Amino acid sequence: MLVDLPGGWSPLLGRLAWSQIPYANPILAPLFVAVVIGAIILLGLITYYGKWTYLWKEWLTTVDHKKLGVMYIIIGLVMLFRGFIDGLMIRTQQVWAVGPHSTGVFGSLHGYLTPFHFGQVYSAHGLIMILLAATPLLVGFMNIIVPIQVGARDMAYPYLNALGLWITAAAAALIMISLFVGDFAHNGWFEYAPIFELQYSPGVGVDYWIWTLQLVALGTTLGGINILATVIKMRAPGMTWGKLPIFVWASLSANVIALTSFPALQVALALVAADRYLGAHFFTAGMGGNLMLYTNLFWIWGHPEVYFVILPAFGMMSEIFPTFSEKPLFGYITMVLASMAIAGVSWLVWLHHFFTMGAGPYVNTAFSVATMLVGIPTGVKVFNWAFTMYRGRLTFNAAMLWAIGALFLLLIGGMTGMMLAIPAINYMVHNSVFVVAHFHSMLLVIVYAIFGSVLYWFPKVFGFKLDEFWAKTMFWLFSAGTALVFVPMYMLGFMGMTRRLEYVFNTSWQSYLDVMELGIVVYTLSVLAFFILLYVSIRDHAKNRVGADAWGTSRSLEWMTHSPVPFYNFAVLPHVNERDELAWRRQHGIDQVRPAHYDDIHMPNNTGVAIIMGGLTFVLGFALTWRIWWLCIVSLLAIILLMIIRSFKGDPGYIITGAELQRMEEEAYRREAQIADSHHSHPVSGGVVGNAMAYQRNDSSK
Amino acid sequence: MSHGAADPTMHPEVQLSTSKGYFLGFAISAFLMLVATFLVTSHSVPPFGLLMVISVCAGIAVIAQIYFLLHIDISEHNIWNTVALVLFIPLFLITIGLTWWMFSQLYLRTMDMSVMSSVTNPAVHASAAPKMSDMPGMGSSPDSAN
Ligand code: HEM
Ligand SMILES: [Cu+2]
Repeated sequence: MLVDLPGGWSPLLGRLAWSQIPYANPILAPLFVAVVIGAIILLGLITYYGKWTYLWKEWLTTVDHKKLGVMYIIIGLVMLFRGFIDGLMIRTQQVWAVGPHSTGVFGSLHGYLTPFHFGQVYSAHGLIMILLAATPLLVGFMNIIVPIQVGARDMAYPYLNALGLWITAAAAALIMISLFVGDFAHNGWFEYAPIFELQYSPGVGVDYWIWTLQLVALGTTLGGINILATVIKMRAPGMTWGKLPIFVWASLSANVIALTSFPALQVALALVAADRYLGAHFFTAGMGGNLMLYTNLFWIWGHPEVYFVILPAFGMMSEIFPTFSEKPLFGYITMVLASMAIAGVSWLVWLHHFFTMGAGPYVNTAFSVATMLVGIPTGVKVFNWAFTMYRGRLTFNAAMLWAIGALFLLLIGGMTGMMLAIPAINYMVHNSVFVVAHFHSMLLVIVYAIFGSVLYWFPKVFGFKLDEFWAKTMFWLFSAGTALVFVPMYMLGFMGMTRRLEYVFNTSWQSYLDVMELGIVVYTLSVLAFFILLYVSIRDHAKNRVGADAWGTSRSLEWMTHSPVPFYNFAVLPHVNERDELAWRRQHGIDQVRPAHYDDIHMPNNTGVAIIMGGLTFVLGFALTWRIWWLCIVSLLAIILLMIIRSFKGDPGYIITGAELQRMEEEAYRREAQIADSHHSHPVSGGVVGNAMAYQRNDSSK
Repeated sequence: MSHGAADPTMHPEVQLSTSKGYFLGFAISAFLMLVATFLVTSHSVPPFGLLMVISVCAGIAVIAQIYFLLHIDISEHNIWNTVALVLFIPLFLITIGLTWWMFSQLYLRTMDMSVMSSVTNPAVHASAAPKMSDMPGMGSSPDSAN
């Protein structure tokens, strides 16, 4: 072996041994039992109701971008919940372990978590929230909405799409299993050199971290490629770049970032792996290694990544504000330019994460100025949203509340970001909880936008609206929690409280920590409200059915097809005349037209290859973590083989005949006609109304 | 923007690719990587020369991959590949250039350069350069950033 492995190693099991299962841990062992019982009940229920075939046929092997998107969102919500529990644990430890007289339980001197365990909790919290909650949630929405908004029947690469999902799922599974088998990294979500080297972190924690991140990076890159190709190549006839819906622009700019920046992370991780597995010295303190090079490489990806997650959220806000202001988005062109500018500038600022490295006044000034430049396009966006609402006919439903909340948080996060961008201030508050409060404000913008989007697009995907009362209750509870947790956090940051303390030495901070604990309790209530929201909405779904245009004031293409969206999206592809096509059609009285004639369409087949491949990447990640070499080789070979086989086989797809399509469409129209407030549509011949073209014409004009 | 092309192998991008091209691209990259690995592990070339040789190898590998694996040329139907390549150039300059700049500035303030060179060339170790603490403006060691 190339490195001296501390502890045992066997050819069959690698580093895996019974002693790695934390069955004596008072927190993990009961949790493990609960998880096992829960899993058995779930599997039992699926078997009892005979849903396995349904699950396999309709979900696990699907290549339908909407179902894949829904699964992305489910993964994201589950991981959001896990990350939230981690957050709850962090807050509880800090409020408990204040001052030398605080008590300790479970083998901890203060509080209930030992430093090592606490380190794992905050590391997992950070990694999960950014990469396995926010990212899958956003990718899920882009997956569902972008193809419909550009008027396509699926993504450019449906199979690749499924592959991206299952690799992301593998990453989520890998980090979850680190709870019960071995332990997770305890050095922070982005790790530090050289403490992640094998000598200083001899366990498998860092290895779990490497391969989890590596898998997310892979899955997200594949997803990014797909969305770019879809936007570039699959737009409906008539949809020029100037008519692209704004969320599509946001997704485009975000995925340009993803495609270009994730490789930097993958290289950084590969080099860390080389250090830990091959005994290389890229990031060691001696032997020609350079520790700051790691920090540098990480943030070359890390900063663009934060914009990768915020840009789609901006796109969501840009969809919600116009719909509920009953006005077109103010400053479409500037919005697009701002997105692109943000994407571009995000590449020039990464050193602001390590001003204190001491690269000197020239370097720090340059990066400080570059960072502040981001404020300009961001400011443009904020004003555009404000002007969109200005003198609009505002509807303050729950989706709109979340969007407005996001706007406020963006102001707070943006302003504090500007403060951090000043090196003189940064030297004071770097690695204090002020920074933590800053980026939580920013990441909460995303969470707010996501919950707004859940409410906004839910009826499109499932055909009924979510309950307004519980959605608003959740919003207010969540916002109260946000204020209670993060206002004191900003204050503590100014007082010099550093981040990641498992023991708080200063007893005068107790009252602030108490308030934050109260905040997290209120957050917990909002989580409860979310579950009630889901329950009530599903219970009453028959009452809340919607037609194609769920809000009556929506503007873009996705609202022109049925709700729930049929698997082929559009029976006949729409012809796009204007930027806000639906709003334009409504204005011209042609929003109710129907195609008079249906042609055969071509759709991709389901495939089980993607989920198997995902399973294999999970096995590979696990085997690499535990250094079970034979299993690495087997799974890697299986992946390569499967890839080759699938490439040669390809997918001829299948045809839905026009007659079949007509039958399904008529049924959908019948269903819609039963909904109280929907209007009746009438067929037009030849896809032309007046002199406007409503549908793609296959006969002549193409 | 047509969806008519049901058979993905009919796309012009795919039509361009041949298995011979892929194998050639793969073989060339693999060969160059082996050469570089051998040179590094065998220490048979002095450091500066090594840097040069490896850079040349990397350059050739990049060109081979762009040509054989990515099929990037400047023809009309490959316009998006070209766009991607052009987009990549500023990013390349930014990441490499700014990294080089920030680290050269960092070393200026924190590194005893004689130690640096002694890592790669033990012979230099004897001739000590000025101590770190003698340098103007040097405070404490850099704090572990972020
Ligand atoms: C107006 C734009 C922004 C500015 C000027 C800004 C500025 C900064 C600065 C200077 C830091 C470094 C603080 C330190 O460690 O000393 C920082 C940290 C951070 N920012 Fe921002 N930021 C902005 C937007 C965002 C956005 C949009 C996000 C994410 C959605 C974000 C997420 C983060 C994260 C995650 C960190 C800290 C990571 C860590 O240390 O763990 N920021 N920001
Ligand atoms: Cu940043």
